[in-house]
Amino acid sequence: MNPQSQPSTPSYKINCRMSQEAAALERLCQVVRIRGFRIATMAVESTGEHLDITLTLEGTRPIAMLQSQLEKLHTVAEVALGQTSVVRSQTA
Amino acid sequence: MNGAQHILDAFHRHHISTVFGYPGGCIMPLYDALVDDVGVEHVLCRHEQACALAADGYARASGKLGVCIATSGPGATNLITGVANAHRDSIPMLVITGQVPSGLIGTDAFQETDVLGMTLGIVKHSYLIDDADTLPAIMEEAMELAQRGRPGPVWIDVPKDLLLTEVSDAPFPRQGPQDAFCPDLAEALTMLRAARKPILYSGGGISLAQAEDSFRAFAEASALPAVVTLKGIGNPGKHNPYNLGMLGMHGSRAANKAVDECDLLLVIGARLDDRATGKLDGFAPNAKTIHIDADAAEINKLRPADLAIRGDLNDILNTLTGTLQDKPLAISDWQKQCQTWHTTGGFKAADNEEPLAPITGPAFVRQLSRIAPDDTVIACDVGQHQMWVAQHYEFDHPRHHLTSGGLGTMGFGLPAAIGAQFADRNSTVINVTGDGSFMMNAQELATIRRYNLPVKLIVMDNQCLGMVRQQQELFYDNRESQINLDDNPDFVAMARAFDIPALHIERTDQIRRGIETILAFNGPMLLHVAISREENVWPIVKPGASNREMIDETRRTTNKEHVA
Repeated sequence: MNPQSQPSTPSYKINCRMSQEAAALERLCQVVRIRGFRIATMAVESTGEHLDITLTLEGTRPIAMLQSQLEKLHTVAEVALGQTSVVRSQTA
Repeated sequence: MNGAQHILDAFHRHHISTVFGYPGGCIMPLYDALVDDVGVEHVLCRHEQACALAADGYARASGKLGVCIATSGPGATNLITGVANAHRDSIPMLVITGQVPSGLIGTDAFQETDVLGMTLGIVKHSYLIDDADTLPAIMEEAMELAQRGRPGPVWIDVPKDLLLTEVSDAPFPRQGPQDAFCPDLAEALTMLRAARKPILYSGGGISLAQAEDSFRAFAEASALPAVVTLKGIGNPGKHNPYNLGMLGMHGSRAANKAVDECDLLLVIGARLDDRATGKLDGFAPNAKTIHIDADAAEINKLRPADLAIRGDLNDILNTLTGTLQDKPLAISDWQKQCQTWHTTGGFKAADNEEPLAPITGPAFVRQLSRIAPDDTVIACDVGQHQMWVAQHYEFDHPRHHLTSGGLGTMGFGLPAAIGAQFADRNSTVINVTGDGSFMMNAQELATIRRYNLPVKLIVMDNQCLGMVRQQQELFYDNRESQINLDDNPDFVAMARAFDIPALHIERTDQIRRGIETILAFNGPMLLHVAISREENVWPIVKPGASNREMIDETRRTTNKEHVA
């Protein structure tokens, strides 16, 4: 099958700062999943009170919807949206 | 003061006088502290799910924080459906569970479950206490968070050893008031004045924001034709001449028609749920949208807003009302058109004049609506009876209608009625339920008896899971599957086994006497109402279809004709 025939999936980079707390990463990942995105890469750095998380996400839903849902999390201090790109489906 | 005593102390300071719970191993220190506490009334339900649903009903009826308590493991997992119910309907709730002692977490100890992990998706926030000295600040934060902005359940899981540990009496930080947020409403007013066919679309966010009076004033000042979601029923008031009632899957033909034709949709405190909008592509196709909500995440979630306004609904509504009182909207032709549609396409159920005829659901609910006092609280369950109440009972206040909207939890009604009765011991509270839903939490008859709550129970018994049967009839070639309940117990005898008197009716001429009898009785009483197995809720929109494609009783086919 020609990979070029596969539908494209938008890819997004998100930087998120959240408080250190029990289940912080689970909470974040759960929202990402339920709102329709797949985590392609994830980097986490602990900076004392905070976790700085960089995510590369793939999904066809509006990324602004995910951003607003992440911003609702009580322990999320900041969500910044990075560059948007388009990736080809990995299934081909 | 240990952790358990501190929790009770926090209840006192926040004027929490009623909690719903069930004891067990890891929460025992809290129950031990309760022995010495006379300021908190602990209501012992007979199942943890009912504790959570009763706390939910208490919060819905009162506008206060609902509190439920359970032990670890099965106590916590049994709470989950009730907490998910509160989460989906944004009900302010504090959940406290015991957890196995700190050192045993992660060892598969007796009655250990990962409560924090398994509840992430059904809470506004949650905590696992790992240091007793953090408990005071977390209690404060949790109670504030559950009620702030868009409310929701907040869960605190406390290991047993930390309930017994002395907590610091150092002052804990208190969160100051949030910055006032005053959106500019000029553009909204410009759009309202420019619209020729505007519709006011409101939901459960009105009562969640405690903006019932502000909304009522706005609805009257604007005289906008108004539709409501299931949770918004009662917002405009039953005497509002432009109240078109509920829209959506089981909404009125008039409400759906008005939305279909409108050129401006003013959405306030609603989230454009699929049961209300039907297929989004065809929803209000010619309308601009102004979306006003406390939760920024709801705006643009499902339908792009031409104007988005996030903020305090009271402030926004009061500002809009003040402006409209000075200069009313000029929409008289549209008002008349909507009223005409309401006359021809509103919910109707002719009273059956034949005294020996079987009772129909809509006719019963309309009689109940006429007979029950205006401030009666109706706690519904989920199914056909829930829709008949939504369609035919005339509510004058949204807090009088307790219904499981988002989650659709069968078994909600009876514990919710218990919660509502504790919220106001003098109010008239009626649980309207079906035979399927009733059996989901029937054990709570024991709670009603224990506290001698004067809750009235109306079981509309069609001997089947009526809503499922209806959809199987209409959308699955009438292939009935697992809906038969004709081996139901004798509900009258069952109630009496709990020392609750009960009455059976089955004919039209028995409706009034039945309702009047249970309402007049000084104490709990059950009315068993036999209705036809084949009765359906009309109209209906097939799940996933456009609201234009309503199916009605007479045709049982897709009907795309206009109302008028």
